[in-house]
Amino acid sequence: MIKKTLDEKAFQLLKEKMDQGLFPQWVLTDPDIYELEIDKIFGRTWQFLAHETELEDPGSYVTRWMVNDPILLVKNRQGEIKGYLNSCTHRGTQLCTADHGNKKTFTCPYHGWSYNLDGELIGIVAGNKVYGEEMDKSEWGLREIPQVASYQGMIFGCLDPAAMPLEEYLGDMKWYFDILLGRSDGGMEVRGLPQRWVAKANWKATAENFAADPYHVQTTHRSTVELGISPEDPLYAGYGHQVVTENGHGINVITSKTGKARVPYQGTPESMWPMFKKNLTPEQDDILSKVTVFVGGVYPNLSFVSPIHGTEGHLHNYLNFRMWRPIGPEKVEVWCWFLIDKAAPEEYKEAAYRGYLGSFGPTGTLEQDDTETWARIVEVSKGLMMRDKQLNYNNVSNYLMGFDRVEPDETYPGPGIAYPTTYIDAISRSMHENWFKLISKDLLLKEAVK
Amino acid sequence: MNSGLSIPITAQLQMEIISLLNMEAYYLDNGKYKEWLDLLSDDLIYRMPLRETLEGVRADNVSKDASFFEETKKSLTTRVNRLYTKSAWVENPATRQRHFISNIMVESMENTSEFKVRSYFLFKRSRGSTHDIEQMFGERNDIVRKEGDQWKIVSRTIIPDQSVITTMNMSMFL
Ligand code: FES
Ligand SMILES: [Fe+2]
Repeated sequence: MIKKTLDEKAFQLLKEKMDQGLFPQWVLTDPDIYELEIDKIFGRTWQFLAHETELEDPGSYVTRWMVNDPILLVKNRQGEIKGYLNSCTHRGTQLCTADHGNKKTFTCPYHGWSYNLDGELIGIVAGNKVYGEEMDKSEWGLREIPQVASYQGMIFGCLDPAAMPLEEYLGDMKWYFDILLGRSDGGMEVRGLPQRWVAKANWKATAENFAADPYHVQTTHRSTVELGISPEDPLYAGYGHQVVTENGHGINVITSKTGKARVPYQGTPESMWPMFKKNLTPEQDDILSKVTVFVGGVYPNLSFVSPIHGTEGHLHNYLNFRMWRPIGPEKVEVWCWFLIDKAAPEEYKEAAYRGYLGSFGPTGTLEQDDTETWARIVEVSKGLMMRDKQLNYNNVSNYLMGFDRVEPDETYPGPGIAYPTTYIDAISRSMHENWFKLISKDLLLKEAVK
Repeated sequence: MNSGLSIPITAQLQMEIISLLNMEAYYLDNGKYKEWLDLLSDDLIYRMPLRETLEGVRADNVSKDASFFEETKKSLTTRVNRLYTKSAWVENPATRQRHFISNIMVESMENTSEFKVRSYFLFKRSRGSTHDIEQMFGERNDIVRKEGDQWKIVSRTIIPDQSVITTMNMSMFL
C-alpha cells in the first residue's frame, strides 16, 4: 500500500524536483499513485458531466461517468438538472444503461423498483405485502451527487460535499468561458452524443497535452506543415499568451506572428461579430478578434480547443470539449463534444462540424497523431529506470521551458498570469503543483502525526 | 422512372461487385490509398454515424446527428494526401491492417445503373511491436455504379457495432 511504501522521502524528492521544473517519471503510471488520484483528485474536484443543450426537455436524461461512479443526469418537471448515482438503491444494480433518452420513471430490471425524475422511490413491486407498513420509501430514493452546478451551460458534478463552489473553483477561467461559450446570443449547442473511444494513455499526459503544450504542435502535427496548411515557422503555435489561472486550470491564447489571426474572429461569419462585441467586454472582444486558437483545460480532466479549421478550403471555427475519463494508469476513455454557436447559420454549423471531424476526435487527422505519442509515453513507463523512486537515473521529465526565464506580460488585458508566449511550461507546472497539493493532502499530515 | 423495372442480379454482376470490394480492401491494406481513391465516384458520400445505446428492443440506434466521418471525395483526398507525408506519425511506422469483408448482398435499385450493396466488415490492426490487437466490426451500406467499365463506390455508410470505439484512433478507412 502506498501509505506504507511511499515513504516521505520519495515524496520530498518529488517536491524538490518539481520545484526545479522537473517531474519524476515514475509518478506517471504508478498504480498506487493512480489509486490515490482517483480518491484524492477525482473524489474531491469538479468534473464535467454534460452541456445544458444535451438535456432539452423535462424527462431528458443522459448517463455519464465520474471515473467509476455511474451518473444519471436528468431534467425534472421544474426544469432543474438533477444528478444521481445511476444505481438502484435496493441492491445497487445499474439503473439505466442507455446513453440518453426521455422518461418519466426509471425502473430497475432486477426487482422492479422505480424512481421518478426527482429520484424518489415511487414503486416497489408487491411493496406492502413484502415490506409491510414499516418500509419508508422516502429513505430509499436515488442517491444524489453531492454537488451539481453549471456555468455558461457547462454542467459539472463533485463528489465532495465540502468542496468549494463551482464558480470559485473555476475562478478566472470563468472569464474565458464567457468568451468561448457566451459570445453569442443563446450560447452554444452540443451536436449529438459525444464521440467516445479508448486511448492508450495516462490521463495526466492527455490533459497536459491539450491544456499546456502548444510546443508539440510543430512536430506532432508536422503533416499539416507538409501539406501547406500550417506555416513552416516552428514558432507558429507559440505566438500569443499562455495564461495560468487558479486550481490547475489554464488557457493558451494563440495568435500568430503578427499578433493577429489570419482572419478576424476565427473565421466566423461577419454578421456575427457585432453580436460578439455586444456580449463581451472590450478586453474579451479584443482577445477574440485576434485569436487563432484557444486551447486549455479545467483541472483535472476537462480540456477544450477552439480552433480555425476547414476541410475544403473554407475556414470555420468550432468548440470542442473533451473529458479524459481514467480507466486505469494506462488507459483513458475519451469523450469528445462538438459545440457551435446556436446563433450561427445552419450551413456554417454543418461545415464547422465537418471541419471538426477532419481535425479532432478519433477520426481527426490532428488527434490521430496525438494518440500515437500518448501511447508511446505509456509503452515505456514500466521500466526499472523509469520507475526508480530515488531518481538514480535522472528519470525526470523536463518542464524547464521558460522556467525562471520568462516574466508575465503585465500589459495582457485578461485575468490570470499571462506569459508572452505559449511555448512555456507554466500551465504544466501549475497542474503539477495542484496535483501535488491534492494528492498529498492528509497523507503528509498523517505521516507527520505518526 | 419505371419503378416496376428491376435488373436481375446475375452471378456475373455479383462477382463484379464482390471483386470491387475485394480490390478496395486490398488497396487499403497495402497502403495504396491513391488507387483506393480511384474506386470512389466524384460525387461520393462517405459517412460513419455513431452507434448509440438506447432503450427499447426495436429502437434505431444509428445516430442521426453524430458521426465519425462525414466526407466527400475532396475531404477524403485531403486525408489520403496526409498519409503520403513523412510526418503522419499515426501511420509512420505504418500499422498493419486487414479488412475482412463478408456477407455481401446486392440489390437492384430504382435507378437501374446503381446497386445497393450491404456487407459486413471486420477490421484488425497491429501497431509497432505491441501485443494488443485492435479491432472494429460492423456493417457497410453502399451504393455502387459502373462508370465506363469501372465499378465505383458512390455512397457508403459505415455502421460500427461499438458505441465506444476501442481502437486508439481511427486513422483507417472502413
Ligand atoms: S436491485 Fe433494483 S430492484 Fe432490486
Ligand atoms: Fe496535438
